[in-house]
Amino acid sequence: MDYEFHWNIVFQNMPELLNGAFVTLHVSVLAMLLGVVIAILLAIAKMNNSKPFCYVATVWVEIARNTPALFQIYMAYFGLGAFGIHLSPYVAVLSALVFINAGYLTETFRGGFQSIPTTQYSASKSLGMTSIQAYRYIILPQMLRRIYHPMTNQFVWSILMSSLGILVGMSELSGTTQRLQSLSFRTLEFFIVAAVMYFIITKLVLFSSSLLARRLFKGEI
Amino acid sequence: MIRKLATLVFACAALTSVNATADQLDTVIQRGTLNCGVVLDFPPMGYFDENNEPAGFDVDYCNDLGEVLGVDVNILNLTWGDRIPSLISGKTDVVIGSTSDTLERAKTVGFTYPYFVFKFQVIAHEDKNIKSFADLKDLKVGAALGTTYETEYLAYADKQGWGRDNYTSFKSENDAFLGLYQGKVDAIISTNTNIATKLRSKEFADFVAGPYVPNYDDVVGIIAKRDEVAWINYLNLFLVRQIRDGNMNKAYNKHFGVDAPAELIQSLRDNK
Repeated sequence: MDYEFHWNIVFQNMPELLNGAFVTLHVSVLAMLLGVVIAILLAIAKMNNSKPFCYVATVWVEIARNTPALFQIYMAYFGLGAFGIHLSPYVAVLSALVFINAGYLTETFRGGFQSIPTTQYSASKSLGMTSIQAYRYIILPQMLRRIYHPMTNQFVWSILMSSLGILVGMSELSGTTQRLQSLSFRTLEFFIVAAVMYFIITKLVLFSSSLLARRLFKGEI
Repeated sequence: MIRKLATLVFACAALTSVNATADQLDTVIQRGTLNCGVVLDFPPMGYFDENNEPAGFDVDYCNDLGEVLGVDVNILNLTWGDRIPSLISGKTDVVIGSTSDTLERAKTVGFTYPYFVFKFQVIAHEDKNIKSFADLKDLKVGAALGTTYETEYLAYADKQGWGRDNYTSFKSENDAFLGLYQGKVDAIISTNTNIATKLRSKEFADFVAGPYVPNYDDVVGIIAKRDEVAWINYLNLFLVRQIRDGNMNKAYNKHFGVDAPAELIQSLRDNK
C-alpha cells in the first residue's frame, strides 16, 4: 500500500479522543443499566396474564428487535423533532439504546424466568413470601446467573451500537474521530486508533462485569 | 546475428515498458472510466436532480474532465467524511467535492489549483434578526460534521469564550438544514451557494441569509492522491482550461443563473 502513516497527529489529539471514548462508555453503561431494569419489567409483563401489559411488552419487543438501530436513533432525534420534541443528541442516542437493549433483553429474561421451575415460586409463596420477595430473593438471583452471558453480549453490542450516535452529531468516540480526521484527512490513523479504543472499552466492560458477577453469584459462571 | 540483435532490442523494449510504471493518468485512460467522487447533498455543487440523476457544478466538472480524457464518467456519491478514504482505497480517481485547501490536509492529499471560492454564511429564521456574527452568542448553532465552516465557527466561538454547549453538529448538509427547519438549532453555518439554493424552496420561505463568517474565503480545490504528481498536473491544466475555454462560466451560469462574477474568476487566477 502506498500510504505513509503519520501517527503524531493522533497523539496530539489524544485528549479529545479520550473524551469521546468516555462519552461512549458513559452512554452505553447508562443505556445498559436502564435497559436491564426495563427489560425485567417487560419480561414480567409479557408472562403476565393481563392483556394490556402483555400487549405493550410485545409491541415494544417486536419494534425494537425488528427495525434497524440506525432508524431508531434517527427517529429519536429527527422523528420526534418533527413533532416539536427536541432531544439533545446524547438523550436521543441514550433513549434509542435503552429502547433496543430493553427489547432484546426482554426475550433473554423471559427465557431465563421460564428456565426456573414454577415450583420454586410456589414454594416461596408457601413459605409466606410475597410475589416481590419471591422474585427478589429466589427467582431473580438464579435467573441473572443463567443469562449472564447473553446479557454481556448485549452490553458489548450496545457499546458498539453507540457509534451510530455519529448520525445525530453526537460527540462520542466515532463522532470525535470523524471530526478530527476531517481536519487533517488522516483517516486511517484515526480510525485504527478508534477501533483499538473500542476494543479496550469492551474488554474493560467485560472484565469488570465478570468481577461483579463473581461477587454477586459467588463463584464461577 | 541480425536475429540475435533483434531479440536484444525486443528484450530491451520489453524491459523498459515493464520498468515504466503506469501512473493514475495512464490508469484512467487505459481503464476507459473516470471514477469521480462528488458530494451530492451540497446543491448547487452536487445534488440529485428531479430524475434522481447526479447533477451540479461539480458533476459538470467531472463530465468535462471525462470528455477531455476521452473516457466514461462514473460519478460516486460521497459524504464529506468519505472523500479521503475513497481516494486512498482507490474507489475514486479524483474527488471534485468542494474541498477546502488547508495546509494540514495537504500533508495527506494532493490539491490542485483552486476551482471555486465560497463564503461561509449564517442562515436563520427571520425572527432571530441576526445582523453580525457576534449576534450568534446565545443562539443554538449547527453545521455539518467535518466541514471547514464547522472548524471556523468553533474557532470563532472558542476565541470569544462562548464554549461549545450551544453547538450541534449534523452528519450531513441535509441533516443540518433539517435540524434548522425543525427548530433544533436557531441558526446554521453553510456556504453562501447552498443557502441561496435552499432559500428558493418554500420550506425556507421564512428564513434569511445572515452575515458571513468574518475574514474567511473558502478556497477549494480538486483532490487526488498526494503522490500522483503527473495526474495533479493534468488536473491543474484542466482547471486553467475550464476558465480559458469558457466551460467554467457555462457551468456557473447553468447552476447559479448568472455569469460567473469577474472577481471570482480573478480570485481563482490569483490563487493558483
